[in-house]
Amino acid sequence: MTLDDLTRTSGEWLRGAGPESDIVMCSRIRLARNLADFPFTNRASRNEKAGIESQVKSAVDAAGLDVAYFDVNGMNNLDRQFLVERQIISRELAGGEGPRGVAVTPKENISIMVNEEDHLRIQYMLSGFRLNEVWDEITALDDQLEDDIAYAYSSSLGYLTACPTNVGTGIRVGVMLHLPGIVANKQIDKVFRALQKINLAVRGLYGEGSQAFGDFYQISNQQTLGKSEEEIIKILTDVVPQVLQFERSARQDLVTGRRQHLHDQVSRAYGVLKTAQTISSEETMLLLSSVRMGINLGLIDDLSISTVNELFIQTQPAFLQKLRGSELGVEERNVARASYLRSRLANGRAVEDE
Amino acid sequence: MTCQRCQDEAVVHLTELVDGRRKETHLCVACARASGLSLPDAPPDFGLDAVLQDLIKKHVGELVGELAESTCPDCRLRYMDFRTGGRLGCPHDYQVFRKGLLPMLQRFHGATRHVGKRARARPGASLRLRLRSQLRQAVAREDYEEAARLRDQIRLKDQHA
Repeated sequence: MTLDDLTRTSGEWLRGAGPESDIVMCSRIRLARNLADFPFTNRASRNEKAGIESQVKSAVDAAGLDVAYFDVNGMNNLDRQFLVERQIISRELAGGEGPRGVAVTPKENISIMVNEEDHLRIQYMLSGFRLNEVWDEITALDDQLEDDIAYAYSSSLGYLTACPTNVGTGIRVGVMLHLPGIVANKQIDKVFRALQKINLAVRGLYGEGSQAFGDFYQISNQQTLGKSEEEIIKILTDVVPQVLQFERSARQDLVTGRRQHLHDQVSRAYGVLKTAQTISSEETMLLLSSVRMGINLGLIDDLSISTVNELFIQTQPAFLQKLRGSELGVEERNVARASYLRSRLANGRAVEDE
Repeated sequence: MTCQRCQDEAVVHLTELVDGRRKETHLCVACARASGLSLPDAPPDFGLDAVLQDLIKKHVGELVGELAESTCPDCRLRYMDFRTGGRLGCPHDYQVFRKGLLPMLQRFHGATRHVGKRARARPGASLRLRLRSQLRQAVAREDYEEAARLRDQIRLKDQHA
């Protein structure tokens, strides 16, 4: 599998399948792990980073995983950005230095970053609300890797990480939610405050410090010490349904109270995406968000959720440039984006209002 | 340029006119002070790290005492570097800076003890880090025979990893 192959496929987590997938785009767990024998990445020499990389690569090989390894160090900026857009690597790994890379499965549900803030960042993603399933998979993978890697671990503090905010379980359990209803009724701040009170973090699509776009928000645990992985997952599995209920009732209010207005908004969004000749990334996100909600509410019947999910990723700058095979300026990208949207959305039509 | 008196690096450069002739003098700080020249104090360091460290020292210095001055023997990270940068340098830092870390962990996580998944016990797993630290010490005391021995041991360990 090469990077170019990825322009012709899409990740399993975008399938729009699984429980609650009208609102929960995907469930994700990542584990932070370090090799006992080396300084953390920020203090490791170039040689040591190369040593860490080679040990992790052989552990991944030994685990018999079907993965491609991408050497991020030898990669150009466009390719790095492309992997960030696809959620395969973090912005920190893209912007780092020295030997580093990522092992990724063809379905893109597993990615193992090497020499990010920690030596290993193991990530597992599935579409829909399936945290327990994700945990079963990732902990088994973690065990397999441990056959060949001695982890930095203390019996009192657990898995030792470069930042003390990850120490203990090293786990980050997150769900990516599409919340256009709560955004529309301006209750999103209230939801954030409630979640923060129980020590959950709310972030944009690309993690820490990123803006929410297309009304997507990630909710994840912050505390990693003093609770078991299962307890941390349970907090999320208890809380997320409440947010889903809140979003559903907000959507219902929109349907009953302002149906005509909502239908108009959804249809116009769909119309613009299908016909625009030039369109910015921000406008695309905004309109795709309306269309996605429209499909879930039965206002559009000829477009699948998975296509919309894919378009959120495939209308990003690096994807368009990879597809075109050359670097493009902002204006050129806006034209390429509109053209790509027209080709993907051709032949669609909105539901006739009764 | 070297100091005219002691051959250290010269940092004071004096140009005088004596009987209409130009005379240049180059001295290190110590020799300049010894010859009675009054020098200004070192210029303040406006680096953000330094300012932050100074602030933190004022707040935590008394609380943690010598911790503020401590350095990990393995990765050479200073506790104050961690306080400004937020990242630890190696697994041993959790032991070396334990006193400072525990209250921080309690504040952030509401706990100081791991109760989750356990890693497999691997006695001597961090041997390479120890060897690395011993190698650095051997080089510092110019014991090159010992340094070479340690270097070979580390290489052997890397090859068998």
